[in-house]
Amino acid sequence: MDSLEIRLKVNGEPRSWRVAPGDVLLDVLRRENYFGVKRGCETGECGACTVLLDGKAVNSCLVFAAQAHGCDIVTIEGLAQGDRLHPIQEAFLDAGAVQCGFCTPGMVLNTKAFLEQCPQPTEAEARQALAGNYCRCTGYKKPVEAVMAAAANFGLGISDCGLQSRKKSEIRNPKSEIKRGRR
Amino acid sequence: MMPWLEAFHRPTTIAEALRLMKRGGRRARFVAGATDLLVEADPAARILVDVGRLGLAYIKPHRGGWRIGAATTMAMLEQSEGMRAFAGGILARAAAASGSIQIRNRATAGGNLANASPAADLAPPLLVLDAQVVIAGQKGKRRLPLADFFKGVCQTALKGDLLMEIILPPLNRAAGRRGGERSAWSFQKLGRVESDIAIVNAAAGVGVDAGGRCRWARIAVGAVAPTPLRIAAAESALQGRPLDSESIALACETVCREARPITDLRASVDYRRQMSGVLVRRALEECLAGIEPPRH
Repeated sequence: MDSLEIRLKVNGEPRSWRVAPGDVLLDVLRRENYFGVKRGCETGECGACTVLLDGKAVNSCLVFAAQAHGCDIVTIEGLAQGDRLHPIQEAFLDAGAVQCGFCTPGMVLNTKAFLEQCPQPTEAEARQALAGNYCRCTGYKKPVEAVMAAAANFGLGISDCGLQSRKKSEIRNPKSEIKRGRR
Repeated sequence: MMPWLEAFHRPTTIAEALRLMKRGGRRARFVAGATDLLVEADPAARILVDVGRLGLAYIKPHRGGWRIGAATTMAMLEQSEGMRAFAGGILARAAAASGSIQIRNRATAGGNLANASPAADLAPPLLVLDAQVVIAGQKGKRRLPLADFFKGVCQTALKGDLLMEIILPPLNRAAGRRGGERSAWSFQKLGRVESDIAIVNAAAGVGVDAGGRCRWARIAVGAVAPTPLRIAAAESALQGRPLDSESIALACETVCREARPITDLRASVDYRRQMSGVLVRRALEECLAGIEPPRH
């Protein structure tokens, strides 16, 4: 078996790994301790393993590690800056869109790619965007609310493209008074 | 994960890709987006030849039509202004319906065809657009109509060669358009949810003269036969008649008769057969609505 060397960036950090020809990106990322990348169905149905590959949401279970050579990967570990959560993570917390949390990294990353492309979505577009992320706890009402709230915050022009990190106090979310989950 | 793989090649030229495939023989497969290949996980596949670095991801205008590189993703197709405007945007619509965004960002047009699933969402629109495919082999390039590309379930005319490009001819040539003619196109899909695999899919295009008479019709259905099909008998049922509910019903009956579906976990033979007619009716009705001048 010919193992391969892949060089890529993960959350901005250059990495160089040896991988087997049959390795998928999901396995390699988890092997390298990016445990925010969740192993779900492994057939591209559930979206729990979603990462951003050159800015685009992909199922890391359906990307060969060798195909990620030269690419820029963002996992959920790459969103928060220190103890400042990303605004989309804040929006998910504020909306109570997190139950067991297993699907959340994929949903948050997919939302990031989606809002970068479509900053002012309709609710129908938000639902369509999340079609590849399954939640098995409750459903999609709260996640969709979170996407819409995140979009509304971006729309206020607080940050460029709305995707820079902000302090919690700056987030203007009508639902922010709702009881928040544990941080 | 396919731990039995022995090699993963990333060639940068088509000649090198073909050489690697030839050397690998029956153990070698081309891989593009891998969204089907990794799910199928065929244990006979031992060597993969990645087509991602061959410069085949493009959508270019070409003599009034388009050239689409085989490695163009579904997301590129659905977002392309050109594809959204061409022939009622049916190819962009089919691409948008082909799976979740995570899938559409990886899955390619070439993969959708080369995998030769009877349910491939791009097939019915490409068939009604009279698409051709360009194939690179050891002996050079060849070009054939998409209708001759599909040979059976998961079988194509490729035989180890590389699907390089899809060519969409200009619409006026495809349709033999003349003065005063109006045309319209439609794509329809039935799945549990839209991003699911199709239970049945269909595409249609019609051209109507100033008197409302159908000059030409193109009808294709997927997931109701071993390969996606053009239904010539339904097309000729419309030709020369006024495009109205009566002629549409006749065409749909013909589609149901020509369909050769199977029963699987998603739908029965009878349901698929009936729905093939329903989807073609919806497609033709959408075309009719697109052609009719506003009533008020």
